[in-house]
Amino acid sequence: MKFLVTKDLQHSTLLGNLMAGVSVALFFYLSLDVVLHAYVIGSDMESISNTLYGNVEEFIEPILIDSLLLQVHIDLFMSLFSIMIIASIYIRLYSDKSVTKWLVHTLFILGLLAPLFLMVAYFTSIGFVYAWLTSFILGHLLGMGLSLLIVKKLLFK
Amino acid sequence: MKHLKLYHIPIAYMLVYILAILATGMWLFLLSQGLGSSGILQTLMRIANVPEPKSIHNFIEVATPHMFAIGTLIFVVAHFMLFSTKISQRFSLRVSVLLFIVALLNISAYLLIIFGVVVSGWVKLLSLALFVLLFLLLLGMLAFSL
Repeated sequence: MKFLVTKDLQHSTLLGNLMAGVSVALFFYLSLDVVLHAYVIGSDMESISNTLYGNVEEFIEPILIDSLLLQVHIDLFMSLFSIMIIASIYIRLYSDKSVTKWLVHTLFILGLLAPLFLMVAYFTSIGFVYAWLTSFILGHLLGMGLSLLIVKKLLFK
Repeated sequence: MKHLKLYHIPIAYMLVYILAILATGMWLFLLSQGLGSSGILQTLMRIANVPEPKSIHNFIEVATPHMFAIGTLIFVVAHFMLFSTKISQRFSLRVSVLLFIVALLNISAYLLIIFGVVVSGWVKLLSLALFVLLFLLLLGMLAFSL
């Protein structure tokens, strides 16, 4: 990040292209992460409920706390790095906009709340599944949106 | 540079994320040692007396991603200390190098148990406690520098 902050962007087309490249990669990472979670946790309310709480009628056991916690542990790590990279580049390119500060705050808060809501949902009720879904989808969409804005600014000036 | 102030936001959130990662990591470790069936103190006593047996396969499965993740995490956190004007780089260097060593010790501590070098799990508990405390110190230094 030190390099991102101090290197003069005007005189380094390589750095600009590298930033665009990593943003494209993170855009696809965030898209695929949504698909991955749809497979692991579920893609509709019924399948999510079956995964988290099980289903006696269909003889489905709820997910083990170890497995869910491992998923949350990995999610936190991956979110931290992906959001840090997107936020650092976005700040570099859009520091003059007043909305930048709030977009970065929102991105980090949504990224942190999603795994926490998932854990709370597991221990409490399905109400928190809606909170998890909202924060997870909004966080990912915001991350993807910021990645696209970075690419737009770098490649389509 | 006007935008430098804005970089405090991602760094501050990074500290919170790492606390959550450390907390879930310790929870996962305690679960693997039987936290689900007994309390925290009992689990810690059990680790100290008779740690859960693990195979080399189990060890590699846990150690491989942690070598990468912990190494990268320490590097990223510690490199922000280059910006610090409140804490000397010499002190930051000592803390980060020590943290790298303790992290390595923590990850590989279970090997001593697997190969029967030690029967008790105190090595793992001690290295884990040292690792967490040192990481918290580094996070505290970074928070103080913001």
